Amino acid sequence: MLELVDVHAHYGKVHVLQGSSLRVEDGETVALLGRNGVGKTTTLKTIMGLVPASGGAVVFNGTDLTKIAPHRIPGQGIGYVPQGRGIFPTLSVLENLEIGLPKSPPPEVMDHVFERFPRLKERLGQSGGTLSGGEQQMLAIARCLVLKPRLLILDEPTEGIMPILVQDIRREIAAVNKAGVSILLVEQNIKTALKLCSRIYIMEKGAVVHEARAEDLKDDKDTLHRYLGVTI
Amino acid sequence: MELVIALGMNGIVWGLIIALIALGLSIIFGLLDIINIAHGDFFMVGTVLAWFVLDTTGNYWLAFLIVPIIGFAMGVVIEYTVIQPIKNAAALSIVATFGLSIILQEGVRATFGAAPTRLVPPIQSTIQMFGLEYEVYRLFAAAVSIAAILLFFGFLHRTKMGTWMRAVRYDPETATAMGIPARKIYMITFALGFAMAALGGVVAAPITTVDFQAGVDILPFCFMAVIIGGLGNLEGTVAAAVMLAFFEGVMASFADPTIARIGSLCLMSIVLLIRPHGIFAGATR
Ligand SMILES: Nc1ncnc2c1ncn2[C@@H]1O[C@H](COP(=O)(O)OP(=O)(O)O)[C@@H](O)[C@H]1O
Ligand SMILES: [Mg+2]
Repeated sequence: MLELVDVHAHYGKVHVLQGSSLRVEDGETVALLGRNGVGKTTTLKTIMGLVPASGGAVVFNGTDLTKIAPHRIPGQGIGYVPQGRGIFPTLSVLENLEIGLPKSPPPEVMDHVFERFPRLKERLGQSGGTLSGGEQQMLAIARCLVLKPRLLILDEPTEGIMPILVQDIRREIAAVNKAGVSILLVEQNIKTALKLCSRIYIMEKGAVVHEARAEDLKDDKDTLHRYLGVTI
Repeated sequence: MELVIALGMNGIVWGLIIALIALGLSIIFGLLDIINIAHGDFFMVGTVLAWFVLDTTGNYWLAFLIVPIIGFAMGVVIEYTVIQPIKNAAALSIVATFGLSIILQEGVRATFGAAPTRLVPPIQSTIQMFGLEYEVYRLFAAAVSIAAILLFFGFLHRTKMGTWMRAVRYDPETATAMGIPARKIYMITFALGFAMAALGGVVAAPITTVDFQAGVDILPFCFMAVIIGGLGNLEGTVAAAVMLAFFEGVMASFADPTIARIGSLCLMSIVLLIRPHGIFAGATR
Protein backbone atom coordinates (compact mmCIF):
# COMPACT_ATOMS: atom_id res chain seq x y z
CA MET A 1 0.00 0.00 0.00
CA LEU A 2 2.96 2.30 0.69
CA GLU A 3 6.11 2.23 -1.33
CA LEU A 4 9.11 4.53 -1.18
CA VAL A 5 11.25 4.29 -4.28
CA ASP A 6 14.74 5.74 -4.05
CA VAL A 7 13.65 8.81 -2.08
CA HIS A 8 16.07 11.70 -1.66
CA ALA A 9 15.70 14.77 0.53
CA HIS A 10 17.76 17.82 1.43
CA TYR A 11 17.84 20.24 4.34
CA GLY A 12 19.16 23.27 2.54
CA LYS A 13 22.26 21.99 0.79
CA VAL A 14 22.69 18.98 3.08
CA HIS A 15 21.78 15.77 1.30
CA VAL A 16 20.09 13.92 4.17
CA LEU A 17 18.11 11.16 2.45
CA GLN A 18 20.26 9.51 -0.17
CA GLY A 19 17.96 6.96 -1.70
CA SER A 20 15.59 5.36 0.78
CA SER A 21 13.35 2.56 -0.42
CA LEU A 22 10.85 0.60 1.59
CA ARG A 23 7.44 -1.00 1.36
CA VAL A 24 4.49 -1.54 3.68
CA GLU A 25 1.82 -4.02 2.61
CA ASP A 26 -1.85 -4.00 3.58
CA GLY A 27 -2.26 -4.91 7.25
CA GLU A 28 1.47 -5.26 7.80
CA THR A 29 3.55 -3.97 10.73
CA VAL A 30 6.92 -2.71 9.60
CA ALA A 31 9.70 -1.17 11.66
CA LEU A 32 12.37 1.25 10.54
CA LEU A 33 15.44 1.12 12.74
CA GLY A 34 18.78 2.83 12.80
CA ARG A 35 21.07 4.89 14.97
CA ASN A 36 20.37 8.47 15.90
CA GLY A 37 20.65 10.88 13.00
CA VAL A 38 20.55 8.37 10.14
CA GLY A 39 17.39 9.91 8.70
CA LYS A 40 14.47 7.91 10.08
CA THR A 41 12.44 10.97 11.06
CA THR A 42 13.29 12.64 7.77
CA THR A 43 12.04 9.57 5.91
CA LEU A 44 8.70 9.79 7.72
CA LYS A 45 8.49 13.55 7.15
CA THR A 46 9.10 13.00 3.48
CA ILE A 47 6.19 10.56 3.39
CA MET A 48 3.99 13.21 5.03
CA GLY A 49 5.24 15.91 2.67
CA LEU A 50 6.69 17.92 5.56
CA VAL A 51 10.12 17.69 3.97
CA PRO A 52 9.91 17.86 0.18
CA ALA A 53 11.39 14.91 -1.65
CA SER A 54 14.13 16.04 -4.00
CA GLY A 55 14.03 12.78 -5.88
CA GLY A 56 12.23 9.45 -6.04
CA ALA A 57 8.58 8.66 -5.37
CA VAL A 58 6.34 8.00 -2.39
CA VAL A 59 3.44 5.96 -3.66
CA PHE A 60 0.42 5.30 -1.45
CA ASN A 61 -2.39 3.21 -2.92
CA GLY A 62 -1.44 4.37 -6.39
CA THR A 63 -1.05 8.08 -5.54
CA ASP A 64 2.36 9.73 -5.63
CA LEU A 65 2.31 11.68 -2.38
CA THR A 66 5.19 13.91 -3.48
CA LYS A 67 2.82 15.41 -6.06
CA ILE A 68 0.02 16.52 -3.72
CA ALA A 69 -0.24 19.27 -1.12
CA PRO A 70 1.11 18.10 2.28
CA HIS A 71 -2.10 18.90 4.16
CA ARG A 72 -4.02 16.55 1.85
CA ILE A 73 -1.85 13.56 2.71
CA PRO A 74 -3.64 12.65 5.99
CA GLY A 75 -6.87 12.59 3.99
CA GLN A 76 -5.39 9.87 1.78
CA GLY A 77 -5.57 7.61 4.85
CA ILE A 78 -2.27 8.11 6.63
CA GLY A 79 -2.08 8.93 10.34
CA TYR A 80 1.16 10.40 11.66
CA VAL A 81 2.35 10.41 15.26
CA PRO A 82 5.42 12.66 15.21
CA GLN A 83 8.53 12.26 17.33
CA GLY A 84 7.85 14.01 20.64
CA ARG A 85 4.11 13.41 20.10
CA GLY A 86 3.22 16.82 18.67
CA ILE A 87 0.38 17.57 21.05
CA PHE A 88 -0.76 21.21 20.98
CA PRO A 89 -0.26 22.09 24.66
CA THR A 90 -2.45 25.21 24.66
CA LEU A 91 -5.35 23.45 22.97
CA SER A 92 -7.74 21.36 25.04
CA VAL A 93 -7.67 17.59 24.82
CA LEU A 94 -10.92 17.68 22.88
CA GLU A 95 -9.57 20.28 20.46
CA ASN A 96 -6.47 18.15 19.96
CA LEU A 97 -8.59 15.10 19.38
CA GLU A 98 -10.75 16.75 16.74
CA ILE A 99 -8.01 18.84 15.16
CA GLY A 100 -7.87 16.91 11.92
CA LEU A 101 -11.58 17.16 11.18
CA PRO A 102 -13.38 20.18 9.78
CA LYS A 103 -16.37 19.43 12.03
CA SER A 104 -16.93 17.46 15.20
CA PRO A 105 -16.98 13.76 14.33
CA PRO A 106 -20.18 11.74 14.71
CA PRO A 107 -20.71 10.49 18.28
CA GLU A 108 -20.11 6.85 17.40
CA VAL A 109 -16.56 7.67 16.25
CA MET A 110 -15.90 9.48 19.50
CA ASP A 111 -17.49 6.68 21.56
CA HIS A 112 -15.21 4.23 19.85
CA VAL A 113 -12.16 6.35 20.69
CA PHE A 114 -13.24 6.83 24.31
CA GLU A 115 -13.87 3.13 24.70
CA ARG A 116 -10.26 2.54 23.80
CA PHE A 117 -8.87 5.55 25.67
CA PRO A 118 -11.13 6.09 28.70
CA ARG A 119 -8.58 8.35 30.39
CA LEU A 120 -8.86 10.89 27.61
CA LYS A 121 -12.60 11.13 28.11
CA GLU A 122 -12.10 12.27 31.70
CA ARG A 123 -9.72 14.99 30.57
CA LEU A 124 -11.41 16.51 27.52
CA GLY A 125 -11.54 20.03 28.95
CA GLN A 126 -7.94 20.10 30.19
CA SER A 127 -5.26 21.61 28.02
CA GLY A 128 -3.09 19.11 26.18
CA GLY A 129 0.03 20.31 27.95
CA THR A 130 -1.25 19.09 31.32
CA LEU A 131 -1.33 15.45 30.24
CA SER A 132 1.43 13.04 31.20
CA GLY A 133 3.77 11.76 28.50
CA GLY A 134 1.88 8.49 28.23
CA GLU A 135 -1.48 10.22 28.01
CA GLN A 136 -0.14 12.57 25.34
CA GLN A 137 1.03 9.58 23.34
CA MET A 138 -2.44 8.04 23.60
CA LEU A 139 -3.93 11.35 22.50
CA ALA A 140 -1.53 11.55 19.56
CA ILE A 141 -2.63 8.09 18.46
CA ALA A 142 -6.30 8.75 19.17
CA ARG A 143 -6.46 11.92 17.09
CA CYS A 144 -5.16 9.93 14.13
CA LEU A 145 -7.71 7.16 14.66
CA VAL A 146 -10.51 9.70 14.56
CA LEU A 147 -9.51 10.20 10.91
CA LYS A 148 -9.85 6.46 10.21
CA PRO A 149 -6.43 5.94 8.65
CA ARG A 150 -5.42 2.85 6.68
CA LEU A 151 -1.78 3.32 7.67
CA LEU A 152 -0.46 4.65 10.96
CA ILE A 153 3.08 6.02 11.08
CA LEU A 154 4.68 6.38 14.50
CA ASP A 155 8.02 8.06 15.22
CA GLU A 156 9.54 6.69 18.43
CA PRO A 157 6.26 6.44 20.34
CA THR A 158 7.89 5.00 23.45
CA GLU A 159 10.61 7.65 23.67
CA GLY A 160 10.54 9.36 27.05
CA ILE A 161 7.64 7.25 28.32
CA MET A 162 7.79 5.64 31.75
CA PRO A 163 8.80 1.98 31.36
CA ILE A 164 5.58 0.65 32.87
CA LEU A 165 3.57 2.57 30.25
CA VAL A 166 5.63 1.34 27.31
CA GLN A 167 3.69 -1.90 27.44
CA ASP A 168 0.40 -0.03 27.24
CA ILE A 169 1.51 1.81 24.15
CA ARG A 170 2.78 -1.38 22.58
CA ARG A 171 -0.59 -2.97 23.28
CA GLU A 172 -2.43 -0.03 21.72
CA ILE A 173 -0.37 -0.20 18.56
CA ALA A 174 -0.99 -3.92 18.31
CA ALA A 175 -4.72 -3.31 18.78
CA VAL A 176 -4.77 -0.66 16.07
CA ASN A 177 -3.07 -3.07 13.71
CA LYS A 178 -5.52 -5.83 14.64
CA ALA A 179 -8.33 -3.52 13.58
CA GLY A 180 -6.86 -3.58 10.09
CA VAL A 181 -4.56 -0.55 10.08
CA SER A 182 -1.05 -1.02 8.69
CA ILE A 183 1.78 0.22 10.89
CA LEU A 184 5.09 1.86 10.04
CA LEU A 185 7.06 2.22 13.23
CA VAL A 186 10.33 4.02 13.90
CA GLU A 187 11.85 2.88 17.17
CA GLN A 188 15.00 3.12 19.23
CA ASN A 189 13.62 0.43 21.48
CA ILE A 190 14.50 -2.66 19.46
CA LYS A 191 12.56 -4.96 21.73
CA THR A 192 9.38 -3.04 21.02
CA ALA A 193 10.08 -3.16 17.29
CA LEU A 194 10.79 -6.89 17.28
CA LYS A 195 7.70 -7.62 19.36
CA LEU A 196 5.33 -5.57 17.23
CA CYS A 197 6.62 -5.88 13.72
CA SER A 198 6.92 -8.67 11.24
CA ARG A 199 9.39 -6.96 8.95
CA ILE A 200 12.30 -4.67 9.77
CA TYR A 201 14.24 -2.16 7.72
CA ILE A 202 17.55 -0.77 8.92
CA MET A 203 18.83 2.65 7.85
CA GLU A 204 22.33 3.97 7.78
CA LYS A 205 23.57 7.37 6.58
CA GLY A 206 20.38 8.36 4.84
CA ALA A 207 19.58 5.10 3.09
CA VAL A 208 17.82 1.83 3.89
CA VAL A 209 20.61 -0.71 3.88
CA HIS A 210 19.08 -3.87 5.30
CA GLU A 211 15.77 -5.67 5.28
CA ALA A 212 14.89 -8.66 7.42
CA ARG A 213 12.02 -10.60 8.93
CA ALA A 214 11.75 -9.88 12.64
CA GLU A 215 12.24 -13.50 13.66
CA ASP A 216 15.44 -13.71 11.62
CA LEU A 217 16.83 -10.42 12.90
CA LYS A 218 16.26 -11.52 16.47
CA ASP A 219 19.04 -14.08 16.11
CA ASP A 220 21.24 -12.10 13.74
CA LYS A 221 23.61 -10.72 16.35
CA ASP A 222 26.05 -9.53 13.71
CA THR A 223 23.61 -7.28 11.92
CA LEU A 224 22.15 -5.92 15.12
CA HIS A 225 25.60 -5.07 16.35
CA ARG A 226 26.86 -3.64 13.09
CA TYR A 227 23.97 -1.30 12.30
CA LEU A 228 22.41 -0.62 15.64
CA GLY A 229 25.30 -1.09 18.03
CA VAL A 230 23.30 -3.34 20.32
CA THR A 231 23.71 -6.78 21.67
CA ILE A 232 20.63 -8.66 22.77
CA MET B 1 -10.12 68.10 36.85
CA GLU B 2 -12.79 67.90 34.18
CA LEU B 3 -10.05 68.01 31.59
CA VAL B 4 -8.29 65.09 33.24
CA ILE B 5 -11.49 63.04 33.22
CA ALA B 6 -12.29 63.95 29.62
CA LEU B 7 -8.81 63.16 28.35
CA GLY B 8 -8.64 60.04 30.48
CA MET B 9 -11.90 58.84 28.93
CA ASN B 10 -10.66 59.79 25.47
CA GLY B 11 -7.57 57.77 26.28
CA ILE B 12 -9.58 54.69 27.15
CA VAL B 13 -11.64 55.02 23.97
CA TRP B 14 -8.49 55.38 21.92
CA GLY B 15 -6.94 52.49 23.80
CA LEU B 16 -9.82 50.22 22.82
CA ILE B 17 -9.51 51.24 19.17
CA ILE B 18 -5.75 50.74 19.32
CA ALA B 19 -6.31 47.37 20.99
CA LEU B 20 -8.40 46.27 18.03
CA ILE B 21 -5.71 47.38 15.59
CA ALA B 22 -2.85 46.00 17.67
CA LEU B 23 -4.58 42.62 17.89
CA GLY B 24 -4.33 42.44 14.12
CA LEU B 25 -0.65 43.30 14.33
CA SER B 26 -0.18 40.69 17.04
CA ILE B 27 -1.82 37.78 15.19
CA ILE B 28 0.15 38.59 12.04
CA PHE B 29 3.36 38.56 14.04
CA GLY B 30 2.40 35.52 16.08
CA LEU B 31 1.36 33.33 13.16
CA LEU B 32 3.46 34.50 10.26
CA ASP B 33 6.51 35.89 12.06
CA ILE B 34 6.01 39.02 10.00
CA ILE B 35 6.92 42.36 11.57
CA ASN B 36 4.33 44.40 9.76
CA ILE B 37 5.58 47.95 9.32
CA ALA B 38 2.57 48.65 7.09
CA HIS B 39 0.03 47.90 9.81
CA GLY B 40 -0.57 51.57 10.62
CA ASP B 41 -1.30 52.08 6.94
CA PHE B 42 -3.90 49.33 7.02
CA PHE B 43 -5.60 51.49 9.64
CA MET B 44 -5.10 54.56 7.44
CA VAL B 45 -6.63 52.78 4.46
CA GLY B 46 -9.61 52.03 6.72
CA THR B 47 -10.09 55.71 7.59
CA VAL B 48 -9.81 56.80 3.95
CA LEU B 49 -12.20 54.11 2.75
CA ALA B 50 -14.63 55.13 5.49
CA TRP B 51 -14.46 58.71 4.27
CA PHE B 52 -14.92 57.48 0.70
CA VAL B 53 -18.00 55.44 1.63
CA LEU B 54 -19.48 58.46 3.43
CA ASP B 55 -18.65 60.70 0.50
CA THR B 56 -20.23 58.46 -2.13
CA THR B 57 -23.22 57.02 -0.27
CA GLY B 58 -23.81 59.64 2.41
CA ASN B 59 -24.24 56.82 4.90
CA TYR B 60 -21.43 56.33 7.38
CA TRP B 61 -22.91 53.16 8.90
CA LEU B 62 -22.33 51.35 5.64
CA ALA B 63 -18.59 51.80 6.17
CA PHE B 64 -18.68 49.59 9.27
CA LEU B 65 -19.82 46.74 7.05
CA ILE B 66 -18.06 47.41 3.76
CA VAL B 67 -14.62 48.62 4.82
CA PRO B 68 -13.57 45.54 6.84
CA ILE B 69 -14.62 43.38 3.89
CA ILE B 70 -12.52 45.47 1.50
CA GLY B 71 -9.68 45.32 4.03
CA PHE B 72 -9.96 41.54 4.18
CA ALA B 73 -9.84 41.31 0.39
CA MET B 74 -6.82 43.62 0.21
CA GLY B 75 -5.21 41.49 2.91
CA VAL B 76 -5.68 38.37 0.79
CA VAL B 77 -4.08 40.02 -2.22
CA ILE B 78 -1.16 41.45 -0.24
CA GLU B 79 -0.52 38.18 1.55
CA TYR B 80 -0.35 36.41 -1.78
CA THR B 81 1.84 38.96 -3.56
CA VAL B 82 4.06 40.39 -0.81
CA ILE B 83 4.06 38.13 2.23
CA GLN B 84 4.10 34.61 0.76
CA PRO B 85 7.32 35.16 -1.18
CA ILE B 86 9.21 36.29 1.94
CA LYS B 87 7.73 33.84 4.43
CA ASN B 88 10.35 32.59 6.89
CA ALA B 89 12.62 35.60 6.48
CA ALA B 90 11.88 37.97 9.35
CA ALA B 91 14.49 40.53 8.31
CA LEU B 92 13.06 40.73 4.81
CA SER B 93 9.58 41.18 6.24
CA ILE B 94 10.58 44.57 7.64
CA VAL B 95 11.91 45.76 4.30
CA ALA B 96 9.00 44.35 2.33
CA THR B 97 6.30 45.75 4.59
CA PHE B 98 8.12 49.08 4.76
CA GLY B 99 7.91 49.19 0.97
CA LEU B 100 4.26 48.22 1.22
CA SER B 101 3.75 51.07 3.66
CA ILE B 102 5.16 53.58 1.17
CA ILE B 103 3.05 52.14 -1.64
CA LEU B 104 -0.13 52.41 0.43
CA GLN B 105 0.62 55.96 1.61
CA GLU B 106 1.59 57.25 -1.80
CA GLY B 107 -1.26 55.35 -3.41
CA VAL B 108 -3.72 57.13 -1.14
CA ARG B 109 -2.03 60.48 -1.69
CA ALA B 110 -2.20 59.99 -5.46
CA THR B 111 -5.88 58.99 -5.51
CA PHE B 112 -7.53 60.77 -2.59
CA GLY B 113 -5.18 63.71 -2.29
CA ALA B 114 -2.91 64.91 0.46
CA ALA B 115 -5.20 67.32 2.28
CA PRO B 116 -6.33 66.11 5.71
CA THR B 117 -10.08 65.77 6.07
CA ARG B 118 -12.27 65.79 9.14
CA LEU B 119 -15.46 63.79 9.22
CA VAL B 120 -18.59 64.73 11.07
CA PRO B 121 -19.40 61.89 13.47
CA PRO B 122 -22.57 60.01 12.49
CA ILE B 123 -23.80 60.54 16.05
CA GLN B 124 -23.49 64.14 17.14
CA SER B 125 -25.23 64.24 20.48
CA THR B 126 -23.47 64.54 23.79
CA ILE B 127 -24.30 63.03 27.12
CA GLN B 128 -23.82 64.21 30.70
CA MET B 129 -21.15 62.05 32.36
CA PHE B 130 -18.94 62.60 35.40
CA GLY B 131 -19.88 66.27 35.33
CA LEU B 132 -18.98 66.84 31.70
CA GLU B 133 -20.59 66.77 28.28
CA TYR B 134 -19.20 63.71 26.55
CA GLU B 135 -19.56 62.84 22.87
CA VAL B 136 -21.88 59.89 22.40
CA TYR B 137 -19.97 58.82 19.29
CA ARG B 138 -16.86 58.16 21.37
CA LEU B 139 -18.87 55.87 23.63
CA PHE B 140 -20.21 54.17 20.53
CA ALA B 141 -16.65 53.82 19.21
CA ALA B 142 -15.61 52.16 22.46
CA ALA B 143 -18.60 49.81 22.29
CA VAL B 144 -17.87 48.79 18.69
CA SER B 145 -14.22 48.16 19.56
CA ILE B 146 -15.13 46.05 22.57
CA ALA B 147 -17.65 44.08 20.53
CA ALA B 148 -15.12 43.47 17.76
CA ILE B 149 -12.46 42.39 20.24
CA LEU B 150 -14.86 39.98 21.95
CA LEU B 151 -15.98 38.62 18.58
CA PHE B 152 -12.38 38.05 17.66
CA PHE B 153 -11.64 36.11 20.83
CA GLY B 154 -14.84 34.13 20.35
CA PHE B 155 -13.73 33.31 16.83
CA LEU B 156 -10.29 32.28 18.04
CA HIS B 157 -11.53 30.01 20.81
CA ARG B 158 -14.92 28.78 19.65
CA THR B 159 -14.57 28.07 15.94
CA LYS B 160 -12.65 25.43 14.02
CA MET B 161 -10.79 28.08 12.05
CA GLY B 162 -9.73 29.73 15.30
CA THR B 163 -8.56 26.41 16.72
CA TRP B 164 -6.60 25.78 13.54
CA MET B 165 -4.99 29.21 13.84
CA ARG B 166 -3.85 28.43 17.37
CA ALA B 167 -2.56 25.03 16.24
CA VAL B 168 -0.66 26.42 13.24
CA ARG B 169 0.77 29.11 15.41
CA TYR B 170 2.14 26.60 17.88
CA ASP B 171 3.44 23.99 15.44
CA PRO B 172 2.78 24.48 11.71
CA GLU B 173 4.46 21.21 10.78
CA THR B 174 2.36 18.97 13.01
CA ALA B 175 -0.71 21.00 12.08
CA THR B 176 -0.05 20.25 8.42
CA ALA B 177 0.45 16.58 9.22
CA MET B 178 -3.02 16.64 10.82
CA GLY B 179 -4.51 17.93 7.58
CA ILE B 180 -4.71 21.63 8.40
CA PRO B 181 -4.13 23.83 5.33
CA ALA B 182 -1.47 26.03 6.94
CA ARG B 183 -1.00 28.13 3.79
CA LYS B 184 -4.66 29.09 3.81
CA ILE B 185 -4.55 29.79 7.54
CA TYR B 186 -1.68 32.22 7.02
CA MET B 187 -3.62 34.02 4.33
CA ILE B 188 -6.80 34.26 6.40
CA THR B 189 -4.84 35.45 9.43
CA PHE B 190 -3.12 38.20 7.49
CA ALA B 191 -6.39 39.26 5.88
CA LEU B 192 -8.12 39.25 9.26
CA GLY B 193 -5.34 41.43 10.65
CA PHE B 194 -5.89 43.90 7.82
CA ALA B 195 -9.67 43.81 8.32
CA MET B 196 -9.29 44.53 12.04
CA ALA B 197 -7.01 47.50 11.38
CA ALA B 198 -9.41 48.76 8.71
CA LEU B 199 -12.36 48.46 11.09
CA GLY B 200 -10.30 50.40 13.61
CA GLY B 201 -9.95 53.04 10.90
CA VAL B 202 -13.71 53.24 10.38
CA VAL B 203 -14.31 53.56 14.11
CA ALA B 204 -11.61 56.19 14.54
CA ALA B 205 -12.10 58.29 11.39
CA PRO B 206 -14.77 60.63 12.88
CA ILE B 207 -12.60 61.41 15.93
CA THR B 208 -9.30 61.94 14.16
CA THR B 209 -8.05 63.44 10.94
CA VAL B 210 -8.20 61.42 7.76
CA ASP B 211 -5.14 61.63 5.57
CA PHE B 212 -2.48 59.46 4.01
CA GLN B 213 -0.25 59.75 7.06
CA ALA B 214 -2.86 58.78 9.63
CA GLY B 215 -1.12 55.46 10.21
CA VAL B 216 2.29 56.90 11.01
CA ASP B 217 1.34 57.74 14.58
CA ILE B 218 -0.64 54.56 15.17
CA LEU B 219 2.11 52.10 14.31
CA PRO B 220 4.53 52.77 17.20
CA PHE B 221 1.62 52.81 19.60
CA CYS B 222 0.48 49.39 18.39
CA PHE B 223 4.00 48.02 18.68
CA MET B 224 4.25 49.35 22.22
CA ALA B 225 0.99 47.64 23.12
CA VAL B 226 2.11 44.35 21.60
CA ILE B 227 5.50 44.47 23.32
CA ILE B 228 4.30 45.60 26.73
CA GLY B 229 1.45 43.11 26.60
CA GLY B 230 3.98 40.33 26.11
CA LEU B 231 4.84 39.31 22.55
CA GLY B 232 2.12 37.07 21.22
CA ASN B 233 -0.07 37.44 24.29
CA LEU B 234 -3.32 38.67 22.77
CA GLU B 235 -5.15 39.46 26.00
CA GLY B 236 -2.04 41.27 27.18
CA THR B 237 -2.02 43.36 24.01
CA VAL B 238 -5.56 44.55 24.69
CA ALA B 239 -4.83 45.40 28.31
CA ALA B 240 -1.58 47.19 27.45
CA ALA B 241 -3.21 49.25 24.70
CA VAL B 242 -5.93 50.51 27.01
CA MET B 243 -3.50 51.21 29.85
CA LEU B 244 -1.04 53.04 27.62
CA ALA B 245 -3.66 55.21 25.96
CA PHE B 246 -5.26 56.05 29.29
CA PHE B 247 -1.84 56.96 30.66
CA GLU B 248 -1.06 59.16 27.66
CA GLY B 249 -4.51 60.76 27.84
CA VAL B 250 -4.10 61.70 31.48
CA MET B 251 -0.55 62.92 30.87
CA ALA B 252 -1.74 65.02 27.96
CA SER B 253 -4.16 66.83 30.24
CA PHE B 254 -1.30 68.60 31.98
CA ALA B 255 1.55 68.25 29.50
CA ASP B 256 2.21 68.56 25.82
CA PRO B 257 1.18 65.46 23.77
CA THR B 258 4.82 65.03 22.79
CA ILE B 259 5.77 64.91 26.46
CA ALA B 260 2.96 62.42 26.98
CA ARG B 261 4.38 60.17 24.28
CA ILE B 262 7.83 60.49 25.83
CA GLY B 263 6.22 59.53 29.12
CA SER B 264 4.71 56.37 27.70
CA LEU B 265 7.96 55.44 25.97
CA CYS B 266 9.68 55.82 29.36
CA LEU B 267 6.93 53.70 30.88
CA MET B 268 7.57 51.03 28.25
CA SER B 269 11.29 51.10 28.96
CA ILE B 270 10.72 50.73 32.69
CA VAL B 271 8.27 47.87 32.16
CA LEU B 272 10.71 46.09 29.88
CA LEU B 273 13.56 46.59 32.32
CA ILE B 274 11.55 44.98 35.07
CA ARG B 275 9.73 42.42 32.93
CA PRO B 276 11.67 41.89 29.71
CA HIS B 277 8.93 39.75 28.21
CA GLY B 278 6.14 42.21 28.92
CA ILE B 279 3.72 42.65 31.77
CA PHE B 280 1.64 39.65 30.92
CA ALA B 281 4.32 37.25 29.75
CA GLY B 282 3.62 33.72 30.78
CA ALA B 283 -0.07 34.38 31.23
CA THR B 284 -2.62 32.81 28.90
CA ARG B 285 -1.81 32.56 25.23
N1 LIG C 1 15.51 20.69 10.29
C1 LIG C 1 16.74 20.22 10.01
N2 LIG C 1 17.65 21.01 9.40
C2 LIG C 1 18.89 20.55 9.09
N3 LIG C 1 19.29 19.31 9.35
C3 LIG C 1 18.44 18.48 9.95
C4 LIG C 1 17.12 18.88 10.31
N4 LIG C 1 16.50 17.84 10.89
C5 LIG C 1 17.39 16.83 10.90
N5 LIG C 1 18.56 17.20 10.33
C6 LIG C 1 19.73 16.35 10.13
O1 LIG C 1 19.37 15.29 9.26
C7 LIG C 1 19.92 14.06 9.70
C8 LIG C 1 18.82 13.05 9.89
O2 LIG C 1 17.99 13.44 10.98
P1 LIG C 1 16.72 12.62 11.44
O3 LIG C 1 15.93 12.25 10.25
O4 LIG C 1 16.05 13.40 12.50
O5 LIG C 1 17.40 11.32 12.04
P2 LIG C 1 16.79 10.20 13.00
O6 LIG C 1 15.32 10.39 13.10
O7 LIG C 1 17.17 8.93 12.34
O8 LIG C 1 17.48 10.34 14.32
C9 LIG C 1 20.71 14.36 10.95
O9 LIG C 1 22.05 14.48 10.61
C10 LIG C 1 20.16 15.68 11.42
O10 LIG C 1 21.17 16.41 12.06
MG1 LIG D 1 14.16 10.83 14.78
